[in-house]
Amino acid sequence: MEVKRDILWRVYLCYMVVAVVCVLIIGKAFYIQQVQGRYWRSMSDSLHQHIEEIDAERGTIYSEDGQMLSTSIPQFDIYIDFAADGLRDKSGKRFRENVDSLSICLSALFKDHTEAEYRKLLKDGYREKDRYFLLKRKISFREYEQLRAFPLVRLGKNKSGFIAEVRNIRLNPYQMLAFRTIGLDRDSFKVGLEMTYDSILSGIKGKRLVRYIGGGVSVPVDDELQVESENGKDIITTLDVHIQDIAENALMKTMVQSESANGTCIVMETKTGKIRAIANLGRRTDGSYWEDYNYALRATEPGSTIKLATLLSVLSDGGTTINDPVEVGMAGNTFVGVRNIVDAEPHPKAVLSVKECFAHSSNIGMGKIAFKEFASRPDRFRTYLHKFRLDTLTGIDLLGEEKPRLPKMSRNNEGLHAMVTMSFGYAIQVTPLQTLTLYNAIANNGVMMKPYLVSSVVNDGAVVKQFEPTVLQENFVKPAVIKDAQECMRAVVTEGTAMALFKGSPYTVAGKTGTANVADGKFGYDDGVYQASFVGYFPADNPQYTCIVVIKTKPHAIVHFGGALAGPVFREISDRLYAMYVKQSAPVQMAIISKPDSNYYSYTGMRKEMKALFNTLQISSADSGAGNSDWAKVYRRQDKPTVADFTVGNKQMPQLEGMGLKDALYACENMGLKVTVKGRGKVAGQSIMAGQPVAKGQIVNLQLN
Amino acid sequence: MSTSNGVNISKGIDWTMVLLYAILVSIGILCIFMVEYRSGTSWVTSFLTGKTNYSKQLLFAGICGLIAIFILLSDSKLYTAFANLLYAFGILLMLLTFVIGKNINGSRSWIPLAGGFNLQPAELCKIFAALALAKFISRQDIDFSKPKSQIIAAVIALSPAALSILQNETGLALVYASFFIVMFREGLPPWILIVGFSFGALVVATLVVEPNLLAIILTAIAGLTIYVMRRMIKRNKNLLVFILLIWAVCVGVQRFAVPYIFNNVFQCYQSQRIYSMVGKDYDCSKNRSAKNERAADKAVKKPDDYNVRQSKIAIGSGGIVGRGFLKGTQTRGKYVPEQHTDFIFTSLGEAFGFIGCFVFLGIYLLMLFRIITIAERQRSTFSRVYAYSVASIMFFHITVNVCMTIGLFPIIGIPLPLISYGGSSLLTFTILIFILIRLDADRQMVLR
Repeated sequence: MEVKRDILWRVYLCYMVVAVVCVLIIGKAFYIQQVQGRYWRSMSDSLHQHIEEIDAERGTIYSEDGQMLSTSIPQFDIYIDFAADGLRDKSGKRFRENVDSLSICLSALFKDHTEAEYRKLLKDGYREKDRYFLLKRKISFREYEQLRAFPLVRLGKNKSGFIAEVRNIRLNPYQMLAFRTIGLDRDSFKVGLEMTYDSILSGIKGKRLVRYIGGGVSVPVDDELQVESENGKDIITTLDVHIQDIAENALMKTMVQSESANGTCIVMETKTGKIRAIANLGRRTDGSYWEDYNYALRATEPGSTIKLATLLSVLSDGGTTINDPVEVGMAGNTFVGVRNIVDAEPHPKAVLSVKECFAHSSNIGMGKIAFKEFASRPDRFRTYLHKFRLDTLTGIDLLGEEKPRLPKMSRNNEGLHAMVTMSFGYAIQVTPLQTLTLYNAIANNGVMMKPYLVSSVVNDGAVVKQFEPTVLQENFVKPAVIKDAQECMRAVVTEGTAMALFKGSPYTVAGKTGTANVADGKFGYDDGVYQASFVGYFPADNPQYTCIVVIKTKPHAIVHFGGALAGPVFREISDRLYAMYVKQSAPVQMAIISKPDSNYYSYTGMRKEMKALFNTLQISSADSGAGNSDWAKVYRRQDKPTVADFTVGNKQMPQLEGMGLKDALYACENMGLKVTVKGRGKVAGQSIMAGQPVAKGQIVNLQLN
Repeated sequence: MSTSNGVNISKGIDWTMVLLYAILVSIGILCIFMVEYRSGTSWVTSFLTGKTNYSKQLLFAGICGLIAIFILLSDSKLYTAFANLLYAFGILLMLLTFVIGKNINGSRSWIPLAGGFNLQPAELCKIFAALALAKFISRQDIDFSKPKSQIIAAVIALSPAALSILQNETGLALVYASFFIVMFREGLPPWILIVGFSFGALVVATLVVEPNLLAIILTAIAGLTIYVMRRMIKRNKNLLVFILLIWAVCVGVQRFAVPYIFNNVFQCYQSQRIYSMVGKDYDCSKNRSAKNERAADKAVKKPDDYNVRQSKIAIGSGGIVGRGFLKGTQTRGKYVPEQHTDFIFTSLGEAFGFIGCFVFLGIYLLMLFRIITIAERQRSTFSRVYAYSVASIMFFHITVNVCMTIGLFPIIGIPLPLISYGGSSLLTFTILIFILIRLDADRQMVLR
């Protein structure tokens, strides 16, 4: 039947069309879900909200005089998205037109590839449609600014495909200066102040809910869900860049000359315990030196510098005075109680006073004195050491201080042996900082100050927390004993081991040399590695600074005595510090000339206000300026107040003199300066000279009259 | 054997259809629930309060159930008798929208009813058109092989479509094209479909292939045809003219007509949707309507394939087994626009993945085959034509809707039958299906 056949094939065709369409749909669904599934899922993930952390700006570490020691600066990694729509638009017209000029610019800026190499690089990336092509890593803000003006790049992210990933890195503007003490802030490990004060510096990370829209751009979803980040606070250290520079240079000079292994040098303000400089130099394999380890906090056998503790102990115990004679003999080695003691140099005479023993650093003498005093009860010696805080940490605000190690001093043979050995600086391990703290206490007439590095925590220029000098203990020895100890330390310089060193010095120094034969790590006592040290204070009659220099020599170094190696470093530091700071011991005053206001005056302020003031008071005034700046300056000219233009730039320090505090603060803080103010009235002095270039975050001190 | 005899009314009812219907409506409510539900609210209360879309849809389903029972209780002769009257009523309703119509989403195709509900006559008109078409073709004096009756049938099918276009409801208008499937079954010459299909292919090819290359290809095809048919052409010169004419028309369409339509007839967003289907970008600056808007200082928003992209993301992130019930992030985050209506398929795709889609489409396919089977077992032409109309309308809806969510078809706003949220749509398909079931139950009765 023709009709039936016709109808049948039509029906079958209907079935077939339905089936084909169904297969088509299922196939497409399968394609989307399986073949492209990963792509769509990633799109989906990127679409949804998630919580993003907002980095807080890390605080800056300042020196006491307002210099940045460590600060955060941005660094950029530059990537290119060669699949950016704008770039590939009109079959890549934009790319082709710009690639040549861009290559020239890039090669001129970075200088690491030639123009042709850059062109090839870019073209390869373009051909492969690389979505995340790394162009250059770690470029500075300055370079980034230049890059942004380049052809193609200046068209913006969407058209050029250029992506800049910003990251904050820490910068130490003074490079090596106190580098180890300032410390490092790396993700993996932190050291120094960066670590000690990490919680203050790092601030609090903020959080916000973001949603990604196309092209990896995130947009905040809801302002209410945002937790603002709190920027880290700044810390102001006790370090002084000038003193640090002096100390570090002096140490470096000697270290390089003597090719010593490592050395440290600490300068402490006697009255307060503030660490004004702390240098740590270690020799690297290539012979150069770097702040690689905080040697100041490392406990080693101190050598003769510890004799001060022995002296203080025996004097405190009362059985000995500094003029008591001690039989040391001429041989240079003597058996004292339980062990044989050797002196490095033979003595000038067979009988020395206790003071002379100290001055000439006689091991035999000190051993004998200690043995005589404490042989029957060595634990008393231990008690004294405890009193001098030689068995505990100084408590400096720097992580990593090593605990001193003291021998057991029991009454048996071994204990006595340890006690005698200890009396001249072996069998005990203390840190240079520990020794310095003890000497500083004597310089400070028996008041032991806690060494500290951070004087205040500052938030946006306002002091949040002030650290005051801390007294660790007072009167731990009798004043008479302190007098005696000071006399002995003077004797070291006037007649003892450091006599030659301070000849002709315009100021007086008191101190103690130390030379220890050290066994450390792979070196034994026979390898001729010495630790030369000098610790002292100056001027001896009115101590301002206490300083310790400790240098560990290379094996079999010719110069290894404390007086000869560490002493000159001390002398250089003390000479320069004396010249710069001590001589003019009165606090530095800014020069203020006060004159009656009506004769000569110069006030600066807002032009409008000035005018209004003159009008209200009906004072006739002249106007000499063009009147196009907000600021104006008023001064006397021909018996008439004259209003003149006054410009405040934003890169250079303005002349603030004559401004009210309100205006001065406005001018300074607009430039990003941090202001500290003393006095009241009008600005009379400023710590940054007018016309000098200024940077954001710098501190300026203003003196008001 | 009629209901008046007190015989069980369930006799002859195709329970498979009823079951498939019930399953699909349940899936629909579940899908809307997935889209709308927010954790933290008690779903029982939110289902019953009638404030959320899924509870509204549940209410609609209840109403539809009542109407379905009413239809099953009614006499099947009713539909043959009133077919033309209903059709006239439907057309009247559609004309009424121009007077009292309410503007929803830019189309004036709704008549506001009491209680905040709106009626879309274009939806209901599908039923009336199906009935009227069936009535016309089943008339004893009609020979459908004659062009005159074919044209009348086409007019019956396309009048509501024309009104729909005037109402700015292009999507619904396209649905009426599905009546051509019915007419094909009833004897429409195949060449009409072939021409229609070829034209579609040509338009797509115009979009995909470079204009010049396409012209060369068309010329090559024409040349090849002439070469193959050279013997016949020798006998009949007219054939050559005919082939050349077709070639000229094709090239004309490709070179001028298609760009003209895209630039001057379609709105910018419509052109963009069609272009994005084939994965291309439409340059709106060429569009006349966009130009007019720009001239009128209106901000011209560049339309993009946001809907399709979001929809693809939702379906694509489903994977094989899906993210799980109520776990679709795309659905939960309300990223897919119109997800409870036109893009309801995406929530299913995301939650239950490929397997879910497969099963779901399988249910639809079962239903379609069931309807065609029912159609072919009818003795009366009226029932058969009606059944085919139902199948065609359903098929068209499903295909276009699913295809547009997966980017196989440009986006036109037509709902997924029985699944998408919306009272009019659900009611329409319920009535369509249950009239069919009623007619089918009475298939033994008379030869209409």
